[in-house]
Amino acid sequence: MNRLSRIAPLILTLAVALATVPALSPAASKNDGRPDGGSLAYGEYGRPATLDPITSNEMISLRITELVFNGLVGIDEKQVIIPELAERWEVSKDGRTYTFFLRKDVRWHPREGEGPKPFTAEDVLFTYNIMMHPKTITPLKVRYEFIEKVEKVDDATVRFTLKRPILNALAKFTFKVIPAHGPANSQFLTREDPFVRSPIGTGPYTVKGITADREIVLMANEDYFKGRPHINKFVSRPFADQNIMTQAMMFNAIDMLVLVNPRDLPELQGDKRFVLQPYNALSYAFFGYNLRNPLLADKRVRRAFTHAVNRQEMLDSFFNGQGTIISGPFAPGSWAYNLDVQPLPHDPAKAVALLKEAGFSAGPDGMMQKDGKPLALSLKVPIEKESEAVKRVVLAFQNYLKAIGVTVKVEFKEWQAWKDAVFVEHDFDVILASWVFDDSADISSLFHSAEIGAWKNNFGGYSNPEVDGLIVESKLTLDHEKRRTINRKLHALLAEEAPYTFLWTLTNYSGYHKKLRRVAIHPYKFFSFADEWFIPVTEQK
Amino acid sequence: MRRYREAAGEVAERPERSRWRAAALGDRAAVGYGLLVVGLVVISYVVGAAGWLPDDPSRMDMARLNAPPGAGHALGTDFLGRDILSRLIVGIQAYFLPGLLAVAISLALGAALGVTAGYRGGRAEALVTYLSNLVDAVPRLVLVLLVIAAFRADIYYVMLVVGITGAPAVASIIAGKIQFLRQKSFIEAAHVLGLPTRVIVLKHILWYNCAPLLIIQATLGMGEAILVETSLSYLGFGVQEPTPSWGNMVQAGANYFFHGKFWPSTAPALAILFTILGFHLLGDGLNNILESKSAS
Repeated sequence: MNRLSRIAPLILTLAVALATVPALSPAASKNDGRPDGGSLAYGEYGRPATLDPITSNEMISLRITELVFNGLVGIDEKQVIIPELAERWEVSKDGRTYTFFLRKDVRWHPREGEGPKPFTAEDVLFTYNIMMHPKTITPLKVRYEFIEKVEKVDDATVRFTLKRPILNALAKFTFKVIPAHGPANSQFLTREDPFVRSPIGTGPYTVKGITADREIVLMANEDYFKGRPHINKFVSRPFADQNIMTQAMMFNAIDMLVLVNPRDLPELQGDKRFVLQPYNALSYAFFGYNLRNPLLADKRVRRAFTHAVNRQEMLDSFFNGQGTIISGPFAPGSWAYNLDVQPLPHDPAKAVALLKEAGFSAGPDGMMQKDGKPLALSLKVPIEKESEAVKRVVLAFQNYLKAIGVTVKVEFKEWQAWKDAVFVEHDFDVILASWVFDDSADISSLFHSAEIGAWKNNFGGYSNPEVDGLIVESKLTLDHEKRRTINRKLHALLAEEAPYTFLWTLTNYSGYHKKLRRVAIHPYKFFSFADEWFIPVTEQK
Repeated sequence: MRRYREAAGEVAERPERSRWRAAALGDRAAVGYGLLVVGLVVISYVVGAAGWLPDDPSRMDMARLNAPPGAGHALGTDFLGRDILSRLIVGIQAYFLPGLLAVAISLALGAALGVTAGYRGGRAEALVTYLSNLVDAVPRLVLVLLVIAAFRADIYYVMLVVGITGAPAVASIIAGKIQFLRQKSFIEAAHVLGLPTRVIVLKHILWYNCAPLLIIQATLGMGEAILVETSLSYLGFGVQEPTPSWGNMVQAGANYFFHGKFWPSTAPALAILFTILGFHLLGDGLNNILESKSAS
């Protein structure tokens, strides 16, 4: 699954819902000798629309759900699948039946005035059904279409039957389970359901409420089945302006930044109070082309643009060089990435030669044209006044293309209008965006021709039978090495075809106060291991 | 006819030179400063339009982002390494003609309404007052944003709104002045002499007696227009990158302000401050010199 990273803040008003958590049965400590207590406030750029794991499509809510919910299985720091809600599982010989044996000691976070209810197989069925219901709007649906049916064997056993065996299927069972008694509507989940704003889960932290300042307050779940998390309280503090977040941390208003603005890195590096921790997100930025425009349907034109931009210069100047230039459709941290394919070099002369080959010539004003028509394109960018990084890249792109005689008109659009223009009306020539992956090798939704259409991810309308064939072949194979070979071929082919100008993967840094100890960060979900983090007693204030 | 002119001149026209001498030092300084600013703006506008700039305002120097003022870049460079001085000069294009348009609309519409209300009185006056109140009741920036939402973020639409919303203020000042003038003997004399109403209104009232008022309103209106344009560009609704405007320059530079790179936003911010101050001081000073004195 790929999530479009938020390029513009979604400003949404959340209802204030304060709920008190009644006293629970005595804490089950982790007994690892590390102290409990203290609190952690972390800064987020913008506010999430929903806090449940199904309807949300933003990174901010994804991080919250990581603290509040659990999957049947989890992934540890070494990317190995580990038991979570399921204590063990069995896979049939034909690879089509997965049977999960659930823990019997898991209880849902209690609602106000109610006792905690036990977690059972019903909840797993409920989650699957609500996720796949046609009226539930969720980015997860397409990801679970490989499942044929789910059955409850008994209260603590569920059996999934797959339509066909798939490689690495177990990793897909990390989806978060929600309680059958959670949503008000038990058929499907919409953003109007109260559950999406005050969810209950099984995870290490319970949603205590949203304050008048729109901070999301999470309290340690004393009853957590893996043992009470060490830190008492997590607070997600929203910021409307990215610029002041680092300052806020330096003045102790927050203890942690999920993503440090690259240009603030030197400032934090020099400050002994803070730790900078790099983590490699599976993501990359790109310029995507609309191949419905006949000018852009010619791959020589797209390759010319890629030659025209100086990616290294942009990376160095705008991001302090903190990243890697990429050549193809996979994130560089992925095993599917083909290191033998080199990014096209910056070569304006070559770019001009390619345009001439494609039938363009310099007109009287020096700008490229064909049959008297100038090569002019519109680049649509969501308005986001805070992100100067986006603005810089866009304006630099405009400048690079001007140098080879191509006019780019930059249009700044409001976020919703931008999404409509790109994903529904397909009314654009070029966009700047980035994909964030949690599954490093699946690019089918980006380039398969069946994924062309309203709200689908192949927004540029790229269609190539050879690519389609390789994508399907890669999905069907059960042999990892074979799959790797197919993906390497796919990478080389898409690098050659240039449906995007692939830009870079940035090295992400999280910054936090050094009072936080044993901090391990999941590159995509971020808080996966947060129940193990702790603050020494002397620093708990 | 000759006698009439002298009679009219007695009330309306006084030698400007003596009035200037009689003015308070503060007012003279204000007007002097204002004229300096207007002169600078006009010269910079011409320089920008002709393209005589110290540097190409859209040329990026990726090796020198946010470079401090120094050799080659008198005011430093912005977040894409572009020359700030050149962009400041070109930024005047963003508001100069649109601002003049807004002022022209305010004055034309305001004068027409003011004359109608002041000269005819009665129902016409009530209607004009009602319209003025109506326009005044809606905050200007809100109206501008509504128009942008309904049509598109075009500076000329915006200035149309600014011009129309500026008209009631002009109208009420003109109307007041006319009511004061109506009782004067030279107007009655003009009537008795059988001059057509059109001539009396346009020539004897507006031209001889309201011209200073209109000039004052024009300078204040220009200040307002610049403020609206820069506010909108700052908010991202006005002039879009890569075209420079003082507002979008402040906005872009603000991202680096707390990183010790204060010049990219400070230079355009000061330009806005001193320019709007100039227009207002000019209007205010002229008002004190030309109007208060003549009324007393």
